[in-house]
Amino acid sequence: MFHQTPLKTATVLLLAGLAVAYGLSTGFFGLELLTEVAILAILAIALDLVAGYGGMISLCHGALYGVGAYAFGSATVLLGWGAPAGLAMAVGGGALFAWAIGAVTARTHGIFFIMATLAFGQMAYAYLFESPVFGGNDGLPGVPRLDASALGLDLNDSLTFALTCLALALLAYAVSAALLRSGFGRTLVGIRANEARMRVLGLPVWRHKAAAFGVSGALAGLAGALAAQHTMYISPGLLHWTVSGELLIMVILGGLGTLVGAALGAGVLVFLKHEVSRFTDHWHLVVGLVLIAAVLAGGRGLYGQLEHLWERRRAARRAPPETPAPDEETTGHA
Amino acid sequence: MLEARDLRKSFGALTVTNRVSLEVARGERRVLLGPNGAGKTTLFNLLVGELRADGGQILIDGRDVTGLSVDARARLGLARSYQKNNLFGGLTVRENLSLAAACAQGRARTPWADSLSDRGVAEAVDEVAQRVGLTELLEVPVDTVPYGARRRLEVGLALAARPRVLLMDEPTSGIGPGGIHAFHALLRGLPAELTIVIVEHDMDLAFEVADRVTVLNYGEVVFDGPPREARDSALVREIYLGTWDGDA
Repeated sequence: MFHQTPLKTATVLLLAGLAVAYGLSTGFFGLELLTEVAILAILAIALDLVAGYGGMISLCHGALYGVGAYAFGSATVLLGWGAPAGLAMAVGGGALFAWAIGAVTARTHGIFFIMATLAFGQMAYAYLFESPVFGGNDGLPGVPRLDASALGLDLNDSLTFALTCLALALLAYAVSAALLRSGFGRTLVGIRANEARMRVLGLPVWRHKAAAFGVSGALAGLAGALAAQHTMYISPGLLHWTVSGELLIMVILGGLGTLVGAALGAGVLVFLKHEVSRFTDHWHLVVGLVLIAAVLAGGRGLYGQLEHLWERRRAARRAPPETPAPDEETTGHA
Repeated sequence: MLEARDLRKSFGALTVTNRVSLEVARGERRVLLGPNGAGKTTLFNLLVGELRADGGQILIDGRDVTGLSVDARARLGLARSYQKNNLFGGLTVRENLSLAAACAQGRARTPWADSLSDRGVAEAVDEVAQRVGLTELLEVPVDTVPYGARRRLEVGLALAARPRVLLMDEPTSGIGPGGIHAFHALLRGLPAELTIVIVEHDMDLAFEVADRVTVLNYGEVVFDGPPREARDSALVREIYLGTWDGDA
């Protein structure tokens, strides 16, 4: 189950501190990267919430991200609404779309769940790709940024926007962590561990899974709205399944089911991609090799491995626990 | 309290539950006996809704629950334990019991309060852990506790669900005499108003705890009566021990 351990808190603070320090010391290109990392960190946290803790490996989070971006873009560009309304549309639209997907797919498992989410995502992608209302393949340009001048913030300034995205990533982490520490989150972990038993204990499992997917969709919608404001342009490419695939790589690389690892994975993958692509066009190859190495190293991911080593060290420092007395009742097998 | 009327279930040509009728009164201890393959576990699966019956009716407190889902039946107070451990792997004993207690107390879906530290849930966990003898192992992951403790946790999960009707499928399977003795004590300590149906192969235990015994064979009820009659029944002995046909 999720526990906000001192190591987790330290890692979150360290990553946030590093990001702020990097933002304050870098130029325009670095701030663009930082913004991308912060937005993808929100999206990766959204995915880890359902995949890492609920066992729902989704291949439609790219679509939820895109739906958020399109909801924001449509509200502001097509309907002429203000950015706050657009933001609400993005979060609400992402949540609603995700809840619907969750409600339909909640009774499927494993590969069938993955394929069902993939199908939903690709349907949304194909619809927007073909839809002239939303600009088809050309997408929608001229997406405005939120006016936060009342708070004394100019979000058209790259540093301010990057730090705002970073603050929202921290908020997304805090909300997800709080949810995972609640009865709702504990039950979600119970579903991942033994869905059938949760049902026999009286839980309407599909409703719980759909709700969790809805929360994840709200976060993905928020990330989409930020992405739309970041580039001030949206296109169907945001919804493509490859975005979902890359997200999954981030989460696995950082540590599936660790929450902070998802954000770390987003940072590592974005910077790795940009650094490697300076030397070769075949950056995918390098990313692939890193992912294979991460999986072969135990599948814990970067943060998961750190946590594992930390726990081992702590266990070694402690006096060996008293071995439980041999079970005098035992005659069967586990 | 719990009633099955003319329950039927087949898998293809194989009939595993053949017009089974059963009526268990509130607070009754009913033991289900029968050889392997008699359909005892299938009957449990039908009663809790994990299998859909081909025909017949299931009633809890007079209410027809035949069409209800597994979780809806559980919310009416029907709980079960399994013949093979069916726990929440990777979690501690406390976390396992908390999940069950939180479901029973309506804390499983609250997005603002931690069910693990909820007072009501924690008290229920401590009480059940004490009852099934797991207090010392509460913080230990279930995958590392001894087999006997896992069997007790299996029953503990069902108890933490605060059932009104408890179905226990071979709760003592795989544990030695010490464990069976402890299970005796556990059963004796359960509230008198709790209705219990137990599938059990240990005859001494079965006859000691049962108010009434139902014997299944080939999916049919072949005996239903007090334990003394079951013990004296030639039919029950024949089903359990078999007969030797000297002319064959």
